[in-house]
Amino acid sequence: MTDKRSFGEELSPRQLIEIDACTQCGECLKHCPVQMVTGNPAIAPPEKIRLFREFLRATDGIKARLLGPQAVDPKLLEDFTKAVYECTTCGACGESCPVGIFTQRLWPTLRKELVRRGLGPLGPQPKMPGAIERTGNPYDKPAAERYSPWLPEQVHVAERAEIAYYAGCTGAYESMPMVRGDVLVLHATGIPFTMLPPEEEVCCGFPLFITGQHELLAGLVKRLVEGYQARGVKTLVCSCPCCVNIMSRDWPALYGKELPFKIRHITQFVVDAFNQGKLRVPRALHERVIYHDPCYLSRGVGVIEEPRETLRRIPGLTVLEFDCHGLNSRCCGSGGAARKVFHENAIAMGRLTIDEAVAKGADRLILSCPACYAKVNEAMQGYEKQIRITDIMELLASTLQ
Amino acid sequence: MIAIVATYAVIAAFYLRLGLHALRWLQAAVRFKAGPSSGAATTVRAAADTALDIMMLRRLLIVNPALWVGEWVFHASLFLIVLRHLRYFLEVAPFWVRWSQTPGWIAGFLLPAALLYIFAVRLLSGQEKFSSRANLLMLLNVLAIGATGLLMSTRYRVDLVAVKLFALGIVTLNPSPPPQNAIFMVHLALVLALILYIPGHVFTAPLVMLDARRRDRERQEVMHDR
Repeated sequence: MTDKRSFGEELSPRQLIEIDACTQCGECLKHCPVQMVTGNPAIAPPEKIRLFREFLRATDGIKARLLGPQAVDPKLLEDFTKAVYECTTCGACGESCPVGIFTQRLWPTLRKELVRRGLGPLGPQPKMPGAIERTGNPYDKPAAERYSPWLPEQVHVAERAEIAYYAGCTGAYESMPMVRGDVLVLHATGIPFTMLPPEEEVCCGFPLFITGQHELLAGLVKRLVEGYQARGVKTLVCSCPCCVNIMSRDWPALYGKELPFKIRHITQFVVDAFNQGKLRVPRALHERVIYHDPCYLSRGVGVIEEPRETLRRIPGLTVLEFDCHGLNSRCCGSGGAARKVFHENAIAMGRLTIDEAVAKGADRLILSCPACYAKVNEAMQGYEKQIRITDIMELLASTLQ
Repeated sequence: MIAIVATYAVIAAFYLRLGLHALRWLQAAVRFKAGPSSGAATTVRAAADTALDIMMLRRLLIVNPALWVGEWVFHASLFLIVLRHLRYFLEVAPFWVRWSQTPGWIAGFLLPAALLYIFAVRLLSGQEKFSSRANLLMLLNVLAIGATGLLMSTRYRVDLVAVKLFALGIVTLNPSPPPQNAIFMVHLALVLALILYIPGHVFTAPLVMLDARRRDRERQEVMHDR
């Protein structure tokens, strides 16, 4: 082992205690979507924690303190790295943990430690920081084309406003019907809103955070926060669960102080608009839809009721539920930046979602996350079971026209 | 003599282990700069909820009621048994230790039954493949401790005065020889092995449960007005 620094270097005291607190009961495995499609206990949460304890012993144990850091089997480290990055970080394991370990935060922190040791990230993930520096987005797509393919001409974007809309990279480049729906609904409320110019609306930092590559984070956050502040923004609205998660949970720490504006998911904003009479649905839609809770929206920041309330405001709509929903929702497979590295797992998980939606007799599968939208659509290509996939704002926008 | 040395060695190893873990947490506390938190208010209700989480293993009850029954009986029995054993370590047993004698004696029968039930639930639910070998050995060890304890309290009586002198001697650093009883020596050896390999969750899980309850409250405040 060349790196003799502690394996616990990136972990908070709370997380180190969590590592000790795992009872190895295996209860979490019943809820792990990666486990469901791979059946491989080697990548199970308790196994990852057991291995990490061994690594900690190697650098911080009694023997290490007396004789210096002990060697760690490189193959074991390699397997551990793969297991940590194969996870979708959906947090279902933590939600079902009898002790309550905050795994949705623990796995990304372990990734940060692996990056520090030069073991992660995997596949195309190391290219993300460079792409973000060049183009502002992890997909390395031209910044100038961030809005133009989907932002309708009739939608007026104010120069300054109290409300701002952040489209997010995945929505803007990979799930355009979703962000198009967002701005159409915002437009329909009649409430003025602003957006940063396409070159200035850079990545929120989530893909870097989730892959353990933290170097650029503070700079990105500063740039975005100052950009919105300069436009007089009081509320920043966004539809991407991963973006709103990092914005509300981590931006204050990365910015170094409280944000000068509130973060709201678009469904929260829309429910408020309905309540204030600024939005109404003129026509009914007689369909059975099933709503999938994105992990980082439900388990992440507790936005569970508002998407359902939004759907209930559409007359004629019957809203069905997955067996696992709300805080217990099952990941669609695209979380944790694993979808482009462990593509087959993601497709298999996406198909579990499709299977259940079809089995429940839904006419449409309603999603509210750009990563889910992109990957579940991909999972349906060439699959025997088919269902219409629609983003929640895409659906609402279609009923407003 | 060997029993006395081994007991002190295990106690020293236990404190060393605990100390090293505490050192690791302290080092992390120095290194780690905590970010702003929403700081959910701690109310009497919240504190009561947390206490219930810990005492009733509430999170386990939600995810696996069948396993919960066994785990709760096991943990409660273990607690009562430890309480009952305090009479050996305190020169004058306080009322709450005296009170725990009968419940602790009953718990001595419940503990092995609960452990066997836990094994059965895990085997029947196909969950056993996820348990680590160390965890399994630990449970077998506790089962053996319970069995030898039961044997001593029901069939092969041990000289309780000698046991108390031995235990008090250890605590007061004035060692006294253990009772010459094979089952007691096996019981003691198994307990020392348990102390040596006691799972970290015994000390840390209550802290994490406490934090999980706070986090659940905070989650509702991350993106919702208070």
